[in-house]
Amino acid sequence: MLASIRSATILGARGHPVEVEVHVAKGLPTFSMLGLPDESCREARDRVRAAIVSSGVPWPDKKIIVNLAPPTHRKTGSGLDLAIAVGLLVAFEQIPADAVSGLCFLGELGLDGTVRRVPGIAPMVGVRPDDDWVVPHDGLAEARVVGRGLIRPVAKLDRLIEALTGASSWPEYDGASAAAPVAPDPEVHDLADVKGQPTARLALEVAAAGGHHLLFVGPPGSGKTMLAKRLPGLLPDLTPDIALETTMIHSAAGVPLPATGLVMRPPFRAPHHSSSPPSLVGGGSHSLKPGEISLAHGGVLFLDELGQFPGRAVDGLREALEEGRIMVGRAEAERVPLPARFQLVAATNPCPCGGGGEPGACECDERARQRYIGKISGPILDRFDLRVVVRRPPVDDLFDAAPAESSVEVGARVAMARRRAIERAGVLNAQLDEAVIAEHARLTVAAEEALRLEVERGRLTARGMHRIRRVARTLADLAGGGDLIDVDHVATALGMRSRVGHSGVRQAA
Amino acid sequence: MTARLATELDAADREAVVALGSLPPLTPRRLAMMLAHHPPAELFERLRDGRPLARGAVHRMRSVTPEQLATQARRIDPPRLAARCHELGVRVVVPGDADYPEPVALDAARSPVLFLRGDPSLVGMRRVGVVGTRNATAAGRETATELGEGLAREAVAVVSGLARGIDGAAHRGVRAVGGPAIAVVGSGIDVPYPRQHRELWEWAGTNGLLVSQWGPGVEPEPWRFPLRNTIIALLSEVLVVVESRERGGSLITANEALDREICVMVVPGSPRSPAAKGVLDLMQNEVVKPATSVTDVLIALGFERARQIGQAAPGFGHRRPHAPPHDAHTIEAQVFAMCADRPCTLDDLVAGLGQPISVVALAAARLEIEGWLVDTAGWFEVARSKLAAP
Repeated sequence: MLASIRSATILGARGHPVEVEVHVAKGLPTFSMLGLPDESCREARDRVRAAIVSSGVPWPDKKIIVNLAPPTHRKTGSGLDLAIAVGLLVAFEQIPADAVSGLCFLGELGLDGTVRRVPGIAPMVGVRPDDDWVVPHDGLAEARVVGRGLIRPVAKLDRLIEALTGASSWPEYDGASAAAPVAPDPEVHDLADVKGQPTARLALEVAAAGGHHLLFVGPPGSGKTMLAKRLPGLLPDLTPDIALETTMIHSAAGVPLPATGLVMRPPFRAPHHSSSPPSLVGGGSHSLKPGEISLAHGGVLFLDELGQFPGRAVDGLREALEEGRIMVGRAEAERVPLPARFQLVAATNPCPCGGGGEPGACECDERARQRYIGKISGPILDRFDLRVVVRRPPVDDLFDAAPAESSVEVGARVAMARRRAIERAGVLNAQLDEAVIAEHARLTVAAEEALRLEVERGRLTARGMHRIRRVARTLADLAGGGDLIDVDHVATALGMRSRVGHSGVRQAA
Repeated sequence: MTARLATELDAADREAVVALGSLPPLTPRRLAMMLAHHPPAELFERLRDGRPLARGAVHRMRSVTPEQLATQARRIDPPRLAARCHELGVRVVVPGDADYPEPVALDAARSPVLFLRGDPSLVGMRRVGVVGTRNATAAGRETATELGEGLAREAVAVVSGLARGIDGAAHRGVRAVGGPAIAVVGSGIDVPYPRQHRELWEWAGTNGLLVSQWGPGVEPEPWRFPLRNTIIALLSEVLVVVESRERGGSLITANEALDREICVMVVPGSPRSPAAKGVLDLMQNEVVKPATSVTDVLIALGFERARQIGQAAPGFGHRRPHAPPHDAHTIEAQVFAMCADRPCTLDDLVAGLGQPISVVALAAARLEIEGWLVDTAGWFEVARSKLAAP
């Protein structure tokens, strides 16, 4: 007897359709699986058998072959368990074949027949969004984000058998009450908590308003992480497209999703520099799991101690910054793109001793500092429109009772500035093309003079000048003035792009 | 204990001295102990062949084993080394030679061998040491340059260590006016270090006097520099410390000088600046005098009797006008005043002046364009000497 059941596996952040074909025939009682199942997938044999027997269906002494089509790519994980079980039950003639036509199945089986959730339900359902899907009950919310057909949640295999044979109706589960692991509401990191540090605050505001990448240079304890955590709070909700993409990636990586199933707020990811390259960049197993760089899609990627990140991760970072996606995969044939369009916030110490970086204040001379900062690759360093020196806030600022501006107030300005930028050029200021900068970021005479002087003195390259101009554009948008960029915006932009690294220290006099 | 007198050395001994001075692991002190027991040629052979030395020669020798010394010695070909010195124009002197600098020869810490390149007669001039931190502020470097320039103009030889920061700046000042420089280095006589001072090194070896305790090919190692500092102290009649943090090599030089009752002067800095901490600590010692101008140093050298030094003696910073860059009430003047105290970030300026960032950034940018401030990786510091006389 033959059966064919539709399901899906995951590769990168995308689902791939899989057809589970089951053939049961007379012969030596064996159970084999074809179609490149990996170790975790091959274990399905034992799980499925136990779950079926636990659900009260006898196991026939027959030769069983399960084929996972298409057999060209490797199947990984336990998400095919349910489809295999249903296929077997159809082939065993326990379930009528027409009951499962038009249905897709997804889920892992426990030995007692429990149907469990697997990572990547959203992208897998997205493979056939218009079909009806049977999914684990705790993956209901996630499935509904993408699925347009009927979503049938199940918790136990025996209940599913009853529903499919018509012995009872489909079980009802409330998506919200299901025991899905739900991401805690993102902690509210309010900008009001930041004491002092006016330049860093402004830099965050500018970064949020213009989409500029931001580098903090400062000693340990100067609040670099604290500042970076406050950037997502200034950003508006994700657009529906990006929200869906981000949800897919988070689902594929098994990151808990919000209760609604859809990631609406920009994510904040802060991987440690000792994380393995696959966990940062993605890949590593046959399912090519998204890495931290992709998990930050639509949000903020914070890299503390940027210079300490391994070279492979930095290469991935460059690719992501240039292309907005990164290719992962072991063999060339199975390379898979993972979306990774994020705002990069990084931090570094100014020098190896962890001192303040104040000239003359520590043992580290120019060479030592340059060597230290030099670990950050030049092209990456160049990507930061904003490079801000932070230092430990003075004691007075810490105890200053005057409350600083809150994220809500700043966020309103940010939203306004973003709207202005989008209306003007269709993109955020950081993405302004060099060809249209002259048109969209017009300067007053004084501002042009100041910028020209910097270039003439050899302190700004042409590209650096464009970066300053973009930041100045954002500053002008935030100020809400006219269409022209004034000299104080240019000066502020210059002040917020410290020359760290190779160009940082002028030749000793 | 003393090595053989220079007159007792024959040609083979001379060659061996060059080789011994080029043995990387040997400190001058240890070499002196060894030479007290064995003549140079014999000592080198013994070391090379791994034969035992007199007990007094290896007394408490822990940092290096005889085997290591033998390995190093076997790598050295004395005639070739001597030829190399000759080719470089390096003179190898031992105490008692006419060219061995007398101030060093008279001290217990003298080196049993010195490698000299350039003009040994410079030691006969008046000499002032100028030392300080490698990680100097822009103002500190400027002060060192002015000291170098000012002293050189008065035909005073400037002794320094060719290190980054203050040392290099002082000799650049000397070079600017073509004055006499004595550079005491912590690596082999033909191993320029730091590399960015290669040119300055070459200049000192050609137009001034380059002194090393180590022969060709000896790499710079951290332990050599304190020993080098002692020689700087010995060669200085007056030692000026321009900038130093709480601990630093220049304080070693200063203490060596104080031990020998050599006059030590310091350029006072702001008590708020970490770069001035070491010099202010030194000032706690009552024999240490402040140097607020080149004239102060010249007076300490005893020049006031020889020359009329007028009241108009310029302080540091005389090379540029020292009027505040803008009217006192302008934001520019306030920014400048803050940075004169110690280097400031934009944050410091905003917090200190209570003005919006755009205003402060504009003022700082203007001061920078006009050359009053320099921006060092996000820190604004005064581009010229902060010790400008009013």
